[in-house]
Amino acid sequence: MMRYEVKKVFSRTSSKIAMLVLFLVMGVTCCFALDISYVDEEGNTQRGLDAVSKLKAAQKKWAGELDEEKISQVIAENRRIRNSPEALAQDITQNEIAYSRGQGIKEIRELLNCAYAKGFREYDYYRADSLTEEMAADFYKNRTALLKEWLEGEAKDQFSDKEKQYLIERYESLKTPFYYDYMAGWVQLFEFAPTIVMISMLILCYLVSGVFSNEFAWKSDAVFFSSEYGRNRAVLAKIKAGLCIVTAVYFAIFFVYTGIMLLYLGADGWNLQVQSSMAGWKYFYHITNLKKYLVIGAGGYIGCLFLSFLSMLVSARTKSTVMAMIAPVMVLFLPSFVGNIKSPVVNKILGLLPDQLLQAGNALNFFNLYSIGGKIVGEIPVIIVLYAVLTAALLPVLYRTYQKAV
Amino acid sequence: MELKMSNLTKKFRDMTAVRNVSYTMTAGVYGLLGINGAGKTTLMRMLCTLLKPTGGSITWDGEDIFEMDGEYRKILGYLPQDFGYYPDFTVYDYLMYIASIKGVRPAAARQQIKILLDQVGMKKAAKRKMKKLSGGMKRRVGIAQAMLGDPKILILDEPTAGLDPNERIRFRNLISELAGERLVLFSTHIVSDIEYIANEILLMQGGEIKASGTAEELLSAMPEEVWSLEVEKKEIERYLRNYKVSNVKTIPGGAVLRLISSERPNSRAVREEATLEDLFLDYFGERAGENDDEI
Repeated sequence: MMRYEVKKVFSRTSSKIAMLVLFLVMGVTCCFALDISYVDEEGNTQRGLDAVSKLKAAQKKWAGELDEEKISQVIAENRRIRNSPEALAQDITQNEIAYSRGQGIKEIRELLNCAYAKGFREYDYYRADSLTEEMAADFYKNRTALLKEWLEGEAKDQFSDKEKQYLIERYESLKTPFYYDYMAGWVQLFEFAPTIVMISMLILCYLVSGVFSNEFAWKSDAVFFSSEYGRNRAVLAKIKAGLCIVTAVYFAIFFVYTGIMLLYLGADGWNLQVQSSMAGWKYFYHITNLKKYLVIGAGGYIGCLFLSFLSMLVSARTKSTVMAMIAPVMVLFLPSFVGNIKSPVVNKILGLLPDQLLQAGNALNFFNLYSIGGKIVGEIPVIIVLYAVLTAALLPVLYRTYQKAV
Repeated sequence: MELKMSNLTKKFRDMTAVRNVSYTMTAGVYGLLGINGAGKTTLMRMLCTLLKPTGGSITWDGEDIFEMDGEYRKILGYLPQDFGYYPDFTVYDYLMYIASIKGVRPAAARQQIKILLDQVGMKKAAKRKMKKLSGGMKRRVGIAQAMLGDPKILILDEPTAGLDPNERIRFRNLISELAGERLVLFSTHIVSDIEYIANEILLMQGGEIKASGTAEELLSAMPEEVWSLEVEKKEIERYLRNYKVSNVKTIPGGAVLRLISSERPNSRAVREEATLEDLFLDYFGERAGENDDEI
């Protein structure tokens, strides 16, 4: 029964086109994500696999614990490069030659910009150039100091004392020093993952939007509901088909995307703290790149599942495929309508909307905290559990809605 | 085997589509005859559990069909008037799917589908997509799906509507052939369909069963008589206005009219034997047509 329900969905020409679009978008996204460049000693920019392996080799030279000595070395190396005649020259090729020498420490240099920034939310690309080796000792201390300064200043009304304490404790309890290694595969994968998850969600909602309503559109509902299983097992088969389609398509796309990215750029750095890259520097979650990947994958899946079932519920209730397609998009765009309202309460509410699941990698960066049973919890675990429960709760509602359809 | 309707009523807001219908059916072919809007489709949809009655009950061997739920639908085959299908499915896949929701096991389904496709003359089109079939072919697939699971009750809503005369004859024969020991109820507003295959006829009007019985019983109970009368051209209009005229046959200088009247309309009028066409006109006040039912 379920096999035929899946077949109903994929036998439609529009569904085949939708799948093609999904794979095309993924292909184009991969092209952008894999566009890594390397500048050689002559200042020429290289691309492709060769560039990836050269960049990897350059960064691997600096692999190791980011302790005071290493930070000090990086500060010195960066100053040496910045003060070299090539860097100071007016000729762009000479500048490129200077840049080529700093590719191995490029990512650490970005961490210096973050650690020694003038404020928690400030960023100055040239900050690393003004550092001295003596300042290396403050590298990790600054991370917490900037947070404290921000919590007592700009963000003083955004958090309760308990929440502030929680954030500080999270920052202070992070194990240091970080380990540094090449991890471009993960960085690029994380950067473009929201695009993949978002397009998957849109296509999935389109695919399942007609699972219930098409019976009415095709006028096949009379035969369906007058059959022995029309009000029970056949309805269940439709729900199962929706679940299978979402699961299979989502993970197929997500794993193909992961495979392409990591095969091309390498999976090195899977066990590194996310804070050892610029994108994860401010995270208060203590996770590795692999865990972040799992959060993105799981969050995206639960988000897609929830919105797809929501689409199916609208499909069953309104008997309209168009309404079923619009509903999840409306839910996704809801934050855009209230996004300009700056209020801690609004932020907390927005943090619980399903769009956060589709961009779980970015949501890790948000300081949305919730108090549950007197315990402070970050946004990510809350929304993952919340939407897993809501999705499960949708199933019986969906079943009963269609079972009673006339 | 007894399907019993007791004081069955269905209202849609202010409109009563079926009004206090009480009737019992056993094995045999029942023809439900009525004009558009008579309530035939509503009645059939209730018999298929697609609509819940506003009042009254339907029982199968004494059990309420809505309480029987899947157990009742297990013995039911239904061909709706507006037969919908999955356009991108092949005929075979479509039937396999319907078999699955009817609880027919795949091995048994394959056997049944093979036999049914042969019976409805669709064996060669088994691999064709449903959307590529002609209207008549779709109806034949519709009959095949209704027959899947060997149902005891077969409900066919306007199965011959929209078919050309040849297809209609084919279809009538097919229904007769498939009837067997089943209870078959089919609706139509085409008198000839009923005439050939129904053992019992139900005349439905304004949501009520106005009369029922075999063709002979209904004709013998017809309150008025049928006359044929040759009239001049100028008289035709007057007769059409004052009598129920079931047929006008033009002849040089005039026409031969077939009239329904309790009294002899003219001394020249000759008494004729009544047909179901006459009965239809007498009950419904209009001639049997080809238009699809809407309610």
